[in-house]
Amino acid sequence: MSIRVLKLEVAAQIAAGEVVERPASVVKELIENSLDAGATQIVVEVKGGGLELIRVVDNGAGIPAADVETAFARHATSKITSARDLDHIHTLGFRGEALPSIASVSHLELVTRSADEVAGTRLELRHGSVTRREAASRPVGTTVVVTRLFQNVPARLKFMKSAATENGRISALVSRYSLAYPSIRFSLTIDGRASFSSPGTGDLKEALAAVYGPETAESMLVVRGEWDGVGKVSGFAGPPSVSRAQRGYITLFVNHRSIQDRRLTYAVEEAYQGLLMVGRRPVAVLELTLPPEEVDVNVHPAKNEVRFRREREVFGLVQKAVREALVESAPVPRAGIEASFTGGPASPRTPLASDLVGWARRPRADASEENAAPIMGPMKALPVLRVVGQVNNTYIVAEGPDGMYLVDQHAAHERVLFEKVLKERKERGVQAQGMLTPATVELTPLQEEGLGPLESLLQEYGFAFEAFGDRTYLLRAVPATLSDRSPGRAFVDILDSMLDAKGDDPQEATIAAVIACHSAVRAGDTLGQEEMEGLIRSLESADNPHTCPHGRPTLVHLSSSLLEREFGRR
Amino acid sequence: MKVSCLQENLSAGLGDVGRAVASRTPLPITNNVLIATDNGRLKLSATNLELSITSWIGAKVEEEGVIAVPARLLTEFVSSLPSEQVEMSLPARSRSLNVKCARFEANISGADPEEFPPTPTISDGLEVEIASDVLQMAIQNVAFAAATEDSRPVLTGVQLELKGDTLLLAAADGFRLAVHEAKLGSAVPEDTSVIIPAKTLSEVSRIASGQEEPIKIMVNAGKTQVLFRLKDAEIVSQLIQGTFPNYGQLIPKDFATRAIIDVSEFARATRAASIFARDGSGIVRLQMTAGEGEDGVGTLSVSARSEEVGDDEGKIDATVEGEPAKIAFNSKYLSDVLNVLGQGMVALETSSPSSPGVLRPMSPAEGTTYVHVVMPMFVQW
Repeated sequence: MSIRVLKLEVAAQIAAGEVVERPASVVKELIENSLDAGATQIVVEVKGGGLELIRVVDNGAGIPAADVETAFARHATSKITSARDLDHIHTLGFRGEALPSIASVSHLELVTRSADEVAGTRLELRHGSVTRREAASRPVGTTVVVTRLFQNVPARLKFMKSAATENGRISALVSRYSLAYPSIRFSLTIDGRASFSSPGTGDLKEALAAVYGPETAESMLVVRGEWDGVGKVSGFAGPPSVSRAQRGYITLFVNHRSIQDRRLTYAVEEAYQGLLMVGRRPVAVLELTLPPEEVDVNVHPAKNEVRFRREREVFGLVQKAVREALVESAPVPRAGIEASFTGGPASPRTPLASDLVGWARRPRADASEENAAPIMGPMKALPVLRVVGQVNNTYIVAEGPDGMYLVDQHAAHERVLFEKVLKERKERGVQAQGMLTPATVELTPLQEEGLGPLESLLQEYGFAFEAFGDRTYLLRAVPATLSDRSPGRAFVDILDSMLDAKGDDPQEATIAAVIACHSAVRAGDTLGQEEMEGLIRSLESADNPHTCPHGRPTLVHLSSSLLEREFGRR
Repeated sequence: MKVSCLQENLSAGLGDVGRAVASRTPLPITNNVLIATDNGRLKLSATNLELSITSWIGAKVEEEGVIAVPARLLTEFVSSLPSEQVEMSLPARSRSLNVKCARFEANISGADPEEFPPTPTISDGLEVEIASDVLQMAIQNVAFAAATEDSRPVLTGVQLELKGDTLLLAAADGFRLAVHEAKLGSAVPEDTSVIIPAKTLSEVSRIASGQEEPIKIMVNAGKTQVLFRLKDAEIVSQLIQGTFPNYGQLIPKDFATRAIIDVSEFARATRAASIFARDGSGIVRLQMTAGEGEDGVGTLSVSARSEEVGDDEGKIDATVEGEPAKIAFNSKYLSDVLNVLGQGMVALETSSPSSPGVLRPMSPAEGTTYVHVVMPMFVQW
């Protein structure tokens, strides 16, 4: 078989495969073009998951009539001119591949007018070749309409997911951009139904409210971190009470470019260690601002991966900033008693302006007050509490400087013990109590399999055990904190939670959490005044007093003003 | 019913049976105390179905009768009355108990006494008598070592063995073991061993305190129930079914180091160390060194340290034989046993920092032996 140079359109289709993988990638490329053209308003409309229709309308600079055809030539771009510019890319696009790639796999119509021209231009292409060109009237800006996407690439068509899936991807994409560009108004219409629109006021908070809803937006914590003169990270991270069951709620931008980076995502999740319930994932929107020479965006044609020149510093920066935001200002969950006390549902909150104005500054202010308090270290956000009593043998009622606190005795004790176990482990090894009559535990084959690789780690935590045949083990020593409780059950629980844990959950924390959970006082245990005071004092000095190791809150705050409102004093 | 009795007697009787009143129960009648006239006395009974306590108090019975009334209500009311004569009357076919004392008068709605679970009695099986103080001491020395966690039910109980003319009580919670032996007044016809809930024994000891008359222990033929007959009370309890660990093999046969120390000094040093041990998992470290020279006095050092709080060391004179030794104990386990040993000298025997330590009183009460075994904590020295 002889070797031939591929026909132009075949080569174009192959290249298109890299850029235009699915309808969402078409939307992405078109939005980025609009952004690079300086648009302040971008309207996206899709039908049939994007396969039937994708329309992107912007009010950007437009394309001069003379350049319209060139825009569809491969590697034609207005964004860079020489290879040297690749090191200083400030625009989203630069490869000059997007439009020709999209055009080669669809029917495309472009209507555009640049500011210094009276009339616009309409260009129609079928699978990359121009079929019509005419003058057209249009305000300054560009409209791109893509139809019959992938109709000439049956292989690709076969791999399309359902329209709903593709719609979902597109909508996620548009919301991501609205977060990266809060000053630009985005709107998205899916199958004729208005799906999403962002206010475009330049306030990220309002963009957040548009994407995640006003309540979530209001609770988000401000993240701010600086990397000495090199770069910075800013954005919002959800408090532990705002979490999702799935990954994918961490949105990352580098220099306004939406990126996906598993390690950076992991860095954010790490920052939540011990604050989220098992299986819950954080919500965060973070923007990294780095000098262009610190990031290589020219890694992948779709440009959603980037490389950092100094990876470790970048991850450290992100993790630290998020952790600080969480620890400093994690607000105590407020008791939502309005609904239950007044009988009716709480009045729906109106999301925007009035409610959100000034929000962004508020948590910082709280945090700095906290830091200003002379006795408290930067990590301590819990006020001094006076124990009033116990409710239901489960909750401790305490009085603080601003109203009443209800403390879940089990969760609070768990948090205290969790930190104690981790600290002991760090300092000198967990203290073990020998057993006079060894406890026998019987393991399932799965548990036994999991035991092997954990053996030395479990020993460091104070468990000593030996095989007794038939998947039966004898516990010879147990962590001292567990000794009043049922060590055998705790041992089996640890194995189970280690087996359940995903590979990236830190094992140390899992073990410590189970030990803490088994050793802590239970709901239903009657506590004496002294015990309650001791527990509250320990909680006050915990590094992270607001949640138990599984992420449940340890305390609920009913502020004085809430009480006053409820009693009609105000 | 029409009876009168002294307020302090009624209050004490209600206090005795109160521990058997069920707290969270699916059977509401067990929240009540049963009040009945019984051969010229007043009988108070409470039960949580596992443990039943009956107490008799002296009373002047004018009219027989029986009623079940809410235990907590009556107990709290009676305890707030002045110490004078209390008159209780229940009109025929009424459920409302009238209580009068000095210038107080209350009417308490009661429940049908027919619904109250019958107090079990034991008529067959084994019967043995033991001096009250001997049994009380045995219980105090042993019951605290039983487990409070019910993951191994037999360990929440105390093994009671009757063999010839000896009574033996043993309790273990997985970390420690206490064994007490005492003499019975007479030999038992048949060797028997049963496991009694530690809580039951604590109640027996509490109610028996101050009583000089011997206590009668009865175990039914099926070995499911035990009854303690005190002077003015009866305690009936379910027995724990199962096999108690073979504690004999848990007591080390020999030792490498033995220190003989004064119990109260040891207890004081342990108390001081516990304050410092609170933060660090309650570890109290013991170090034994023999004295130098011919009759040199050795030392037992009791120390604790915590990263944050600081440290403490107390030194006690001790007669030490064998190698210098180190061992660390949970301060709670150590102070528990020292508390019951009270006074006199105690021998502490150890073989290694990781094998069990043994405490034995040097001069136990006549006819008794006591041994306490504690598993150490594994620490870095």
